[in-house]
Amino acid sequence: MKRYAARTAFTAIAVMVAASAAHADFWSDAAKPYQGVTIRGVSESTPPSNYVKDVLAPAFTEATGINVEFEATSWDQMYDKAIKDMEANTGIYDFVYIEQDIIYSYLARDFLVDITQALADDPSLKAPNFDIANFTSFIDYFKDPTKSDHLFGVPMEAFVKVYLYRKDLFSDPDVQAAFKEKTGRDLAPATTHDEYREIAEFFTQWGKDNDTELWGTTVQAHSGHPSSWYEYFESVAPTFGVYNWGIDADNNYAASVANGGTMNGPKALAALEFYLGNLAFAPPESTQSTWDEVAATFAAGRTAQGLVYGENSAWIATDSSKSNVVGNVGVALPPLGEGVLAEAEGGTGYIGYYDGGAFGIPHSSKNKEAALLFLQYIGQPEVQADWAVAGARITHTATYDDPKVKEQDTKVDGYYTLMREKGPLFAGAPAYPFHAQVREATAPYFYEAIIGQITAQEALDQMAAAAEAELTQLGYRKN
Amino acid sequence: MRRSRSILTLAFWCGASVITLFPIYWLFVISAKSRADLFGRPSLLIDSVTWDNYIATLSNPVFQHYMLNSIVVATCNSLLVTTMGLLATYALSRYPLVGKENIFFWTITNRMAPPAVFLLPLFLLYTQAFTIGTWKLYDTRIGLILLYCVFNLPFAIWILRGIIDAIPKELDEAAMVDGANLWQILTRVILPVARPGLAVTAILTWVFAWNEYLFAATLTSVHARTITTGLAEFVTVTGTNWGLMAATAMLTLIPALVFLGIVQRHIVAGLTFGAVKE
Amino acid sequence: MRSQRTGWLLLAPTLVILFIFGVVPFIYVLVTSFTHWNAFASDPTPRFAGVDNYRQVVFDTQFLYSVWITLRFAFFVVVSEMVLGYFLARLMMANFPLKGFFRTIHALPLMVAPIAVGATWRLLTVPGLGPLPYLLEQVFGIDYRIGSFPNQAFITTVIMDIWHWTPLVTLTMLAALSSLPKEPFEQAQIDGANRFQIFWHITLPYLRPAILATVFIRMMDALRTVDEVWMLTGGGPAAATRYIGLYIWRVVFPKTDYGYGAAISLITLYLTIVLCWLLYVSLVARKEKKGVD
Repeated sequence: MKRYAARTAFTAIAVMVAASAAHADFWSDAAKPYQGVTIRGVSESTPPSNYVKDVLAPAFTEATGINVEFEATSWDQMYDKAIKDMEANTGIYDFVYIEQDIIYSYLARDFLVDITQALADDPSLKAPNFDIANFTSFIDYFKDPTKSDHLFGVPMEAFVKVYLYRKDLFSDPDVQAAFKEKTGRDLAPATTHDEYREIAEFFTQWGKDNDTELWGTTVQAHSGHPSSWYEYFESVAPTFGVYNWGIDADNNYAASVANGGTMNGPKALAALEFYLGNLAFAPPESTQSTWDEVAATFAAGRTAQGLVYGENSAWIATDSSKSNVVGNVGVALPPLGEGVLAEAEGGTGYIGYYDGGAFGIPHSSKNKEAALLFLQYIGQPEVQADWAVAGARITHTATYDDPKVKEQDTKVDGYYTLMREKGPLFAGAPAYPFHAQVREATAPYFYEAIIGQITAQEALDQMAAAAEAELTQLGYRKN
Repeated sequence: MRRSRSILTLAFWCGASVITLFPIYWLFVISAKSRADLFGRPSLLIDSVTWDNYIATLSNPVFQHYMLNSIVVATCNSLLVTTMGLLATYALSRYPLVGKENIFFWTITNRMAPPAVFLLPLFLLYTQAFTIGTWKLYDTRIGLILLYCVFNLPFAIWILRGIIDAIPKELDEAAMVDGANLWQILTRVILPVARPGLAVTAILTWVFAWNEYLFAATLTSVHARTITTGLAEFVTVTGTNWGLMAATAMLTLIPALVFLGIVQRHIVAGLTFGAVKE
Repeated sequence: MRSQRTGWLLLAPTLVILFIFGVVPFIYVLVTSFTHWNAFASDPTPRFAGVDNYRQVVFDTQFLYSVWITLRFAFFVVVSEMVLGYFLARLMMANFPLKGFFRTIHALPLMVAPIAVGATWRLLTVPGLGPLPYLLEQVFGIDYRIGSFPNQAFITTVIMDIWHWTPLVTLTMLAALSSLPKEPFEQAQIDGANRFQIFWHITLPYLRPAILATVFIRMMDALRTVDEVWMLTGGGPAAATRYIGLYIWRVVFPKTDYGYGAAISLITLYLTIVLCWLLYVSLVARKEKKGVD
């Protein structure tokens, strides 16, 4: 018995050593022809990207002898420079950050290298521990259905936008009693929009009565920044049953009801009125709040509920140098309209936004092979857990089971568990190559609705008209 | 009477300084408060000063690199522009050049257009046209130094024109009669009188180059990055790192202040814009 | 020996640099303005479009609105800065203790990068975070929320610009005042002129070139404002602070509509040239008038 156990253990260790040795051999072997090459990439300065820049890139250089120059820049700049580079074929960048919503634009322009094909053409570059099957379903967004689902980007971060609520307030007996008295129901995280609004009203009044700076909900309603537009179209509207912005791609990209779309239909109206109506129960900075301020507002303890991006949930719940509500954060699915959950489970709809990004290789790159090695390096299972803890992002299925991640999961009230189990109910941005263009065309009317210059119905009508006009001008919608 | 006037003036200037400094004080507060504290409640006082942002910034080799780039670009450009501007303005002032008034006006039009669309052709030029072998003008400091001339040179010319025009041509002619060549005229006749104006030109062009963001962001990548683009890096999709950004912005003030301090005395007796005629 | 050749040689480096880095890109932009070119249109290649883009501008109510509010912004900003700058320069002419120190402090806003200026004012004005909303409410009872009230946002951008750029005016005015000759003033005082008369008939004429040149430069830059306002409001609320610079930014960057962006940039350039030409003509006219005296 003992001898058998010892032998198994010994074999196991030998296999592990051999495997890591084999891996180590792979990286230095595969990189031999590219020693001393420098690859350059562009991304943002977010925690997951910074982790790549500060930890993974140096480790890669150590393992392969390939240098990595990582340019971190602002959101606008990153897009602008990547697009300029790829369009002009100048070969400045060897890998670029691809946010999930821009992948369709890049695929439409055929900017990116087909990773699947490249690895098939040159097996010496294929890392033994890089397997598409390791990734969560998020990787599907970076496959091109017109090219046999070949892969064009290696995911490096993914999050879901969740419903956060203040556990401490929700479990406070005084609060519960007052709520029950006022509404006749028990206080619990909202599952419908009416409940959500009721809770928001209650807490705003509670804040006034008790003379504290407390409101019922956050609203990401910056009246000049697309973040507000995104909260409505990506997080609120789907929960009312308005999907893909209300544009019907199969029906000549119709947006208005008159032409066959749903952007200004009754469900959209309910959604927008709900979103705008929440402003009355939100703190005064809401019309100046982007995703950053919303997270900060919630972390400062100013609201009882809110829709917050996943990557912020982690630090709000755990980092006391940045958050005043550590340990009091509850995570739940967003409130849903009737039938929405069924549609999401059936695959015809979704309940919220699955956010994230990948790294891809431009065709114009002059060091594709070296870049390919780098992408596989950051896509290998071994680096995922520490990266997850540092940036609250998960792209591999196995990462959910890692002990470090599980430990963090308990601190963030099961955000990772929720993402694992309910992730498939969320969706990324629709497959629109004209994503940014239509957004810019419709946003001005949206902002006017936020400050009350026009009504919700007027805003929706004008947005639908503007969307159709823009789509026509771009050539997607035929007259 | 004079005394109370002095005190009044002093009081006024103290008040004015408070107003001027208030946003900068706030910038400092942002840089020295912890994030939780910052978004907690609006308080003008800092409960506990954290120097973390400053330490992180100062010890960051990337920051040092950006700072050095900015100093090099701003200083070189300022010197280049002042020199070239002086020569150009002298030419416009003293020589009977055909169409010189039109040229004079045309130079300033280079500074009038909104810059956004010009980024694309410049990007193309810098990455594909201005190349020698594998070396590109893209992501180089000299690239920025040359580019900033486009809007700093006209500025210099416009400022210096008035000053040089105000120096009587008779002085030049007298010097020429004495056998002076062009170089000597410039250094002995023009330079001493125009020195204050040149100082003003130097510092204002330095400030413009120091603070320029858009072109620097587009035409540099990693090597020639300047400090203003470094500031923009803090603005991301997941949020803005206000504390670090504020600390960096405060630190960026220091070289500017140093430069200002050195050149300041000359400014007072500087720009005349041709106001004085003999 | 004022040969043309020496003159052109002196001017040459300037012209060469301006040509390579200024004129060449300009020609590219000019050509682009006659094309339909959007990087993510269904046909992403540049296609010749004649004057279609320019025609579109006439119907672009958003752009026209941006032009209107930018002119309004530039007007308030330039006038305020000139008045304030002159006033402060005048005060600085007097002798008082720590003059140099105060002068340095006053010049400080000029040294702050526009992005940082925008970021600072943004954080100053966010309710719940910045001191301004709190102070304004406590002291004046004003509900200060620049995300919700267009007029407040507009005024805030004006004040921010004044804070940032007045030192430029002060310094140039100070320089101009410092070089005024003494005799006319002494003569006028002997002749018994009062303060206002001295200012109007002596000071102003001497300062006119300096004043007009400063107005010129400030107006040009005000019409192109982007960075600070971008950080502060993003152009909001709705379009209240969406000045031309921001509008063009939106068209060129996220919307990637290069053809149309080129057209509106050139129209803005033309507009600026016209405004500046009007000013310049008055400057030259005055000069000639003075020459007659």
